Amino acid sequence: MNNVVARLERVLNPKVVAVVGDKRAGGGYMWLKNMSPFTGTLYSVQVDPNEIPGIEALGVKNYTSLLEIPEEIDLVVCAVPRQVSPRVIADCIKKHVGGVEMFTSGFAETGEELGIRLQDELTRTARENDLLIVGPNCMGIYNPKLGVRFNAEQPAGVSGSIGFISQSGTHGMNFSLLAAANGLLMSKAVSIGNSIVLDASDYLEYFAQDAATEAIAMYVEGVKDGPRFVRVLRETAAKKPVIVWKGGRTPAGGRATMSHTGSLASSQRVWDALVRQANAIPSRSLDETVDLCQVLLRAKPGAGTRVGLMAMTGGQSVVFTDAFESEGLDVPLLTEASYSELATFFNIVGGSYRNPFDMAGTIGGEQENLDRLFRILDAEPNIDAIAMEISATFMSRRWANHPEQLEEFIGRLAAHKARSPKPYVTIMHPGHSELEVAQQRPRFQQAGLPVLPSFERAARALSLCAEYHRTRFASNRA
Amino acid sequence: MPNAIIEAARGEGRTLLNEVESKQLLEDAGISTTRARLATSREQAVAAAQQIGFPVVLKVVSPDIAHKSDVGGVALNLTDANAVGAAYDGIVQAVKAAQPGVRVQGVAVQTMARPGTEVIVGMTRDPQFGPVLMFGLGGILVEVLKDVSFRIVPVSERDADQMIHEIKGFPVLEGVRGQHAANLPALKRLIAQVSGFVEQHPEIDELDLNPVFAYPDGALAVDARIVLGAA
Repeated sequence: MNNVVARLERVLNPKVVAVVGDKRAGGGYMWLKNMSPFTGTLYSVQVDPNEIPGIEALGVKNYTSLLEIPEEIDLVVCAVPRQVSPRVIADCIKKHVGGVEMFTSGFAETGEELGIRLQDELTRTARENDLLIVGPNCMGIYNPKLGVRFNAEQPAGVSGSIGFISQSGTHGMNFSLLAAANGLLMSKAVSIGNSIVLDASDYLEYFAQDAATEAIAMYVEGVKDGPRFVRVLRETAAKKPVIVWKGGRTPAGGRATMSHTGSLASSQRVWDALVRQANAIPSRSLDETVDLCQVLLRAKPGAGTRVGLMAMTGGQSVVFTDAFESEGLDVPLLTEASYSELATFFNIVGGSYRNPFDMAGTIGGEQENLDRLFRILDAEPNIDAIAMEISATFMSRRWANHPEQLEEFIGRLAAHKARSPKPYVTIMHPGHSELEVAQQRPRFQQAGLPVLPSFERAARALSLCAEYHRTRFASNRA
Repeated sequence: MPNAIIEAARGEGRTLLNEVESKQLLEDAGISTTRARLATSREQAVAAAQQIGFPVVLKVVSPDIAHKSDVGGVALNLTDANAVGAAYDGIVQAVKAAQPGVRVQGVAVQTMARPGTEVIVGMTRDPQFGPVLMFGLGGILVEVLKDVSFRIVPVSERDADQMIHEIKGFPVLEGVRGQHAANLPALKRLIAQVSGFVEQHPEIDELDLNPVFAYPDGALAVDARIVLGAA
């Protein structure tokens, strides 16, 4: 297949979309509803006279064949049963469409003879006719800016800077939704399914050159052309951060990938090695992937591992430190210059400032003391990065009653981030007040601050990002 | 590019290269080994030892034997012709007694390497990613603790550096308890050379350099085993 990146550009940014085979049963015209915010022209292709009124009621023009649509089509969504799909594909070829995303499933992933044969035929037809297929057995393309979606909850009319590649439709949806709930949006996301024509490497190459994409994340179970994937991952990670969330990490999980995507099982140690070799960033879960995106996109880049920890209370300062040290970060003592300045104002009755800081008594009454602490850590030569705990136990109820105090607090953190060259993360455990925190957390995130829900998750994300920056700087020097 | 050693083994229907063949292939690729000569008689063994220079090591060459020393197939530190002659006969007898019906291709005669820190470098093929190199400390540590690191071929010197630092036993290579530190640039170079060697020989399915002696001034493959893929 030639010129894949340029052709993907058209398919991922369509002006004309045709949905073939959407129906009431199951999702209630799921695809047409997914595409309801689409900024371009949307058509439907459906031959069943019982379905056509429901489609037209959505305000979508229906045709009984792709070939009847009176303009060029950039993207076809193929949602017909598998037996019918060869006819739709034949029409796509005749119509010279930009590409097809195939929601249709029941191919090689079933492991049955018919499914495998249908997939082989589909692959041969697509290759012989140079037809670009996303999938099959996938959710296809999400372009938030244009309102091309594969889930009706996905934000539309806005866009962000994360490119997501997913070998699972569910993870594609969940990542885009959970990231959005944390204020992070996609440039585009692609659910790649059985990857019969395009493989993960093709999408990586697309995102590597896509100016709107600052960071790439992927969920992967296996790849078609391993050596090419290693090469492309390495080349892409040299341009922008790539997070690799590998599914099937354990032998039993690997067995599950066989029946999910038919992926060959390689030892997890080989995957760990190749991710490290490419200077990509390893992730083990959906949460970790979102955490890494927050730190990569919201914290200043930094390779250092020496962290200044700001806790509200003594017990928290201890477990905060354990969590960070356990992830390979260091919590060092400060220089005498910092200690002598701290001694002039830090309230040591029920508090301490050796690093970690136990600081509720110092910042509780006078918020300007928070600025003084930040400035000391910022100037401290023994410290590369700063992390601060916000205690929902003490703060969330107060802020719910005094929103102006929340605003003032966020303003101070944002000002610190603006003036400091060091990575900074906030930890806000929901504790007993999940509802309040769910309302307050987005305010911090809107101010560009990374907010992580536990010490452990913050430590891991910060540690992995530091390693990424460290290796990147090292290879740039080499 | 057809290789005479590989073609000869294939011609005999073998996929396992013996130590002499394996080391010759590695030497041809510029990888330092204790070069071995095959002797098929007591007289040949003595002549080979005199050419190489004493002290020498004798090791049985057999496709049927995995752990040579377990069956009396290794004699170390032989300092003169008499010792070599006696060792040749002793090895052949011991091996045949321990494993009746065993095929013996001969005995490899090689330099007695001075002791160094034992490490291993190996290659296996992954179904998705092709050749993968492994690095670890030698001896029982690698077998029991699985303290090894992996990288996919091609392995650069930077990758090799990470492989070496990644194992838990890394401090051993820096020298502990009066042991000399290993020369890390030499180890890195060796790993990168093995990567290049593997790339040039897609017909090789498995490779084991076990042990490699890491010295303050270099690295030397002391034993080598190469398995070819089915033709």
